[in-house]
Amino acid sequence: MTAPLLEVRDLSVTLARGGDELPVLDKVSFDIAPGEVLGVVGESGAGKSMAGVAIIDLLVPPLRRSGGTITLGGERLDLLTPRQMRRVRGKRIGFVFQDPMTSLNPVLTIGRQLTDTMRRHLPLSRNEARERAIAWLTRTGLPNPARVFAAAPHELSGGQRQRVVIALALCAEPDLVIADEPTTALDVSVQAHMLQLLRDLHEETGTAMMLITHDLGVIAKMADRVAVFYAGRLIETARTEMLIARPLHPYTAGLMQATPALDAAGVMRVKAIPGSMPGLGATPPGCAFHPRCNRSRDLCRQVTPPLADAGGHAAACHFPLRQEVA
Amino acid sequence: MSAGDVLILNEVSKAYDGRVSMLDRLFGRKAKSLQAVREVSFSIRKGEVMGLVGESGCGKSTIARIAAGLMAPTGGEIGHPGRLRQQMIFQDPFSSLNPRWRVHDIVAEPIRTHGLRPKQEVSARVAELLTQVGLSEADGAKFPQAFSGGQRQRISIARALAGEPDFLILDEPTSALDVSVQAQILDLLRDLQARLNLTSLFITHNLPVVRLMADRIGVVYLGELVELAPTSAIFEHPRHPYTRLLIDAAPDLDAEDRSLHPIPGELPDPSDPPSGCVFRTRCLFATDRCASERPKLRKIGPGEVRCHYDLDLTGRELVA
Repeated sequence: MTAPLLEVRDLSVTLARGGDELPVLDKVSFDIAPGEVLGVVGESGAGKSMAGVAIIDLLVPPLRRSGGTITLGGERLDLLTPRQMRRVRGKRIGFVFQDPMTSLNPVLTIGRQLTDTMRRHLPLSRNEARERAIAWLTRTGLPNPARVFAAAPHELSGGQRQRVVIALALCAEPDLVIADEPTTALDVSVQAHMLQLLRDLHEETGTAMMLITHDLGVIAKMADRVAVFYAGRLIETARTEMLIARPLHPYTAGLMQATPALDAAGVMRVKAIPGSMPGLGATPPGCAFHPRCNRSRDLCRQVTPPLADAGGHAAACHFPLRQEVA
Repeated sequence: MSAGDVLILNEVSKAYDGRVSMLDRLFGRKAKSLQAVREVSFSIRKGEVMGLVGESGCGKSTIARIAAGLMAPTGGEIGHPGRLRQQMIFQDPFSSLNPRWRVHDIVAEPIRTHGLRPKQEVSARVAELLTQVGLSEADGAKFPQAFSGGQRQRISIARALAGEPDFLILDEPTSALDVSVQAQILDLLRDLQARLNLTSLFITHNLPVVRLMADRIGVVYLGELVELAPTSAIFEHPRHPYTRLLIDAAPDLDAEDRSLHPIPGELPDPSDPPSGCVFRTRCLFATDRCASERPKLRKIGPGEVRCHYDLDLTGRELVA
């Protein structure tokens, strides 16, 4: 196996509230190999977006990184100064957020934003940057790239804006793209276009991707490997096909069964997980999932299970599901 | 239309007249009118769950508001034979509950408004409703902000049931919820549906959800009902190319087959819809006739379709 591009070890994030430091992310560790797509899945509040934001050091108080190391291509990002970190963002790590307007400056033309980004990070002349910007807009499948180049963000549709944001994230040729719910605000017909675009560009440029989503369907189509988050912890990770065919953690299995789908007999079914994820600062002792788990025993209430690796498939569960899941 | 119909929409349309600002008037610009809903006809039978699916801006929520009587159509008519008491459940459980009211009062309001119970029985009825939706009697004393999104949606459901509706309109009731909580609410709604024999209109953009919930489904595109059929027929034998593309576009959980199926093209500007068939600019089967002649909603198999042709789209993946 090649050396990982990104190594995250024991990453913790806390939220300060009234003198307390509430854990938002609790010692999360994962790797992303060069060119790999890691899907990060979980429900709102599970900490999946926080992991992405913590990597690019964009947490704002009361949130802060309280521990752990982040290494990108051998360099410790967590030791960089804010000024050094600015050179990492955009150049080595590109990002795509759910709402394209958070990434776009509303008063600058699309062309200006693309050329500024490229010229900041790459040694390009004004004309070269302009040519490349138009080439990027063409690659993202935007009709009439020259018109889009001169347009302001508000003149584009939501789907067109997200294409521009994807071009912005990739134009400085980063090693890693962090995409946080890139298709969630989009309609299903536009979503499939955007996933296709992300996949095509990923294959063309060979960039690695951290794809954060709540949608297991998106994970199934896009990710090489999956990391499942629950209540600020990483609770299961495996290759996508393996995780979907044979989840080890009862929460992962529950999440899949809670997604309406056809069963073997061709009948639609859905199975709810009772209860809800604990809120901030209300994480129960032991396994955070135990109050909702029908397999929990005394051990689960007392001891937090470690993420135990068994042949590339790791789950943080004392009593993982084995072959028995349908 | 039969005696069992609870609600009948007949060629219902809704057009918005564009506003013209002073500046526009100075430049001699004319108002652009927007046809949000165009000649939509369907009826809902007693005890039936009718689903409406479509993408954002297609007009499905406008249809819901017209059906609820919250908005007057600009063309066509709505009829409800017999008595009709209706309630509505909205997408956002944070804005649809008054934050200054206790849950008990929120749920009691329709009972008091419609005088459904004698005064001394209201509290007992509220407790019964809260239990029915999976909350407890004690929750009645709390304010909405004490609850999570899923629990708030349970309160919305209790409030809707408190009005003892003949007809329930649900506008994206689970779209703001996480998957595991969505499943709980869908379970609850299915259970109530079966026990109370509710008649409802269920609006969503989520095809698996509507497939789970609805007996019949209407597919809406650019303000028009393009297909209407029993749920199994919609999914097994879709007749309209848009229905087929919409079914294939949502990524499923199959990690072995990673193909994606985007719908070709982009949504046309709703204020300047295509001539003839509204879907023709994205349709792989479009002919000259589709540009010149608007198809009528016509009967085919167990359903109806607004397409000139008898296309067999069964099990077929439409590739651009």
